[in-house]
Amino acid sequence: MRCGLVCLLAVLGLFGCDALLFRTPIYPSYLEPDSSTGQFELILRREQTAQTLNGDNLVATLGNSRFAYAPRLSNEITFRTGYAFRHAGVAGSDVRTWYYMLRDLDPAASRYRAIVFGLDDFDDEDGLFDPNDDMRSLHYVIARLRWSDAWDFARSFDSRRLQFEALRGALLKGFVYQADFRAFLSDPRKRIDYVQLCRRGYESWTYDYVETNNSLAGLEVDWSAWTAKYPPGTDQDQRDTIRNFLMRKPAPQIGRIANYRRLWFGRILDRYRGSRTRIIFIRLPRGPLPRPDDAARKASGSVLEFAARPNVLLCDEHAFDSLEHPELFRDALHLNRDGIARFSPMLAEKIRSMLGPSTQR
Amino acid sequence: MLFNTTTFFIFLAVVLVLFYSSPRPWRKYILLVASYYFYASWNPKFIALLLTLTVIDYTAGMWLEKVSAARARKAVLILSLTANLGFLGFFKYYNFLGRNLALLTGRPENAFFLDIVLPLGISFHTFQSISYVVDVYRGQQKAVRNPIDYALFICFFPQLVAGPIVRARYFFHDLLDWHSPSTDDVSRGLMLMTLGLTKKMAFADQFARIANDYFGHVAANPGMLTAWSGVFAFGLQIYFDFSGYTDMAIGMALLLGFHFPVNFRRPYLASSITDFWRRWHISLSTWLRDYLYIPLGGNRGGRWRTYRNLMLTMLLGGLWHGASWNFVIWGGYQGALLSVERVFRGDRPVGEGRPWLYPLKAIVTFALALVGWVFFRSANLTESLAVLRQMFAGAPGHILLEPWHWGLAGVSLVVALGEEHSEWLERLTKAPVLAYASGLAVMFFFLEMFGAFDVAIPFIYFQF
Repeated sequence: MRCGLVCLLAVLGLFGCDALLFRTPIYPSYLEPDSSTGQFELILRREQTAQTLNGDNLVATLGNSRFAYAPRLSNEITFRTGYAFRHAGVAGSDVRTWYYMLRDLDPAASRYRAIVFGLDDFDDEDGLFDPNDDMRSLHYVIARLRWSDAWDFARSFDSRRLQFEALRGALLKGFVYQADFRAFLSDPRKRIDYVQLCRRGYESWTYDYVETNNSLAGLEVDWSAWTAKYPPGTDQDQRDTIRNFLMRKPAPQIGRIANYRRLWFGRILDRYRGSRTRIIFIRLPRGPLPRPDDAARKASGSVLEFAARPNVLLCDEHAFDSLEHPELFRDALHLNRDGIARFSPMLAEKIRSMLGPSTQR
Repeated sequence: MLFNTTTFFIFLAVVLVLFYSSPRPWRKYILLVASYYFYASWNPKFIALLLTLTVIDYTAGMWLEKVSAARARKAVLILSLTANLGFLGFFKYYNFLGRNLALLTGRPENAFFLDIVLPLGISFHTFQSISYVVDVYRGQQKAVRNPIDYALFICFFPQLVAGPIVRARYFFHDLLDWHSPSTDDVSRGLMLMTLGLTKKMAFADQFARIANDYFGHVAANPGMLTAWSGVFAFGLQIYFDFSGYTDMAIGMALLLGFHFPVNFRRPYLASSITDFWRRWHISLSTWLRDYLYIPLGGNRGGRWRTYRNLMLTMLLGGLWHGASWNFVIWGGYQGALLSVERVFRGDRPVGEGRPWLYPLKAIVTFALALVGWVFFRSANLTESLAVLRQMFAGAPGHILLEPWHWGLAGVSLVVALGEEHSEWLERLTKAPVLAYASGLAVMFFFLEMFGAFDVAIPFIYFQF
């Protein structure tokens, strides 16, 4: 009896310590800014601040690093579009993390005029990687997870091992914060100073960021033989992205990505059901050279199904095809400075045309 | 099935449930089956070896009690020792001897090589068997009549693979007169299991990363501070690893109603090497004392014989750890230190002296122990010498440990000092519920924040 009580109290004590440290703002305010969680939190806080500084003509964009545009350039034509653009995208993130991001960024589901999701493709193309089992999600959203999310979040992973890891992390966040916490203990002063520096500078560092002007100009691909001719001066990273993404062999199509998108976009759309916020999907410029359409037999287009919902808008799939040129990409995935300079105003104009004129209050 | 895995905790939970829900006469059978299952989960083939040794030593014990003629009794003892040491020698030392024989006779190094897998825990259960047979021979232990009881003594899963080496009289006292564990026992058991797991996963495995990195790339990590910090990391790893394992073994034995002897008593607070060996792997050092050092004559034959006995005991103790010259040198080093201490200390009791000198003595002893660990951890003698060269004559280098590692070391030092003076961990188990639960919660929290869950680092002593 005594031992049972001791065990129970000890476990409660553990949960209490964990909650005190990681479920209050104490520790999450001082996460390493360069870590996945730290980046995610910095972006979230930056956008929360931006909400207070802008009117009700805000358009938030969400995506991963492929959604490379400069809000600054889009906002240079706000006088024409009437909308202010903010980018809440996080490199390496996906729709599961965007769901948790939006839940805390826009708790009443009414703050934005539109939320724009940038996708590689409206059709559902499975890759070799199972998005359900992307453990990075846990690290991105850990500070956002609540007790009530634990079971559901863990169940969204496919493998038993990852389900266990996710459940453990969602219940006891210390397991996920371990490395960050140890690094913090190694030099707390340095961490606090760096966090404060990032808080002061993050808005301008990101808003005024100028992308490199490296390009793949001269890249040629023979799709009949699946061979690429690299332009002179191509570095190893560029070659890797060409080989691993542009030239990737099609994976078996088993409907995994379709289910994933239906689940997580479905949840986001449900949150915004009946809201004034429009949900817009755009297809990002696919790459320096478009892959052949018949490379993979895509069985479905879940995003196309969403278009039937009242507040969902689908941008013309080919709206940004004109940017799919090697000279506008720094590697096989990302637009370069010139590409961004063209894409940003194009995006703003396109969104404006879809939303209609802004009626800022 | 490592003690720090989910699989093991499920296994333990099942065993505890089956054990306590069964009628009392069945319980030893449940433990026996569980122990063989535990052993077989590593390699079922070696169950046969375990059974063979069990049958031999059980029979030897019975004969020793039946036979009264001194020569016959001696013959039985020799037969049993030959079987035990024969198996141990073959599995553990054959290739070592073969390699050295090949080198001596100018043959290729692998001329006598056999692809032998070392059975898990053979060094431990062999020593346990030997102690039983010798005790029966000496008349200090009655032969066990029930073969099931004897089999359980040899294969009891909490201590089967890495000790502690339990003497027959303690084990059979608990087995033959088994009582449900008291509340104090269960409290202690829980505390020890939590403490052991924390020691292993939050301390040993974190220091293991540094030590493995250093000893895996000695040439790439030059420098005096680098070497000292790498060796320091290993010194803490091996202590937390082995004492953590032992704590868990003692703890789970308590939950099953068995009382194992203490195996570690804060060895790094020792004030001399003699003191160190009274605190480190106590079940082995007392075994070596009782079955090797004293039979060799102990300290009864004059100074030089004492030194010789100390050297022989420690050399064999070193060799017990592993079949390599490094372990022999490590044992020799310990024997030499013990002998030198004996020269200076004479017949004065250990620990006597000026109290204010204690911190200095403890630091020197710790440093000497670290130097010994170089031989213990290095892959070969060349590597050991390279590490020692860096420790004593290297360029400054850099410290491998991060500040939080020092924090862990500091916490453990504070806990050890507190334990040394007030045995507060022991007292905590008898403290009011809230205080005890807080202590456990702190350990859980350490485990959560510092536990190495992303890597599986086996217990060091499993290889012996």
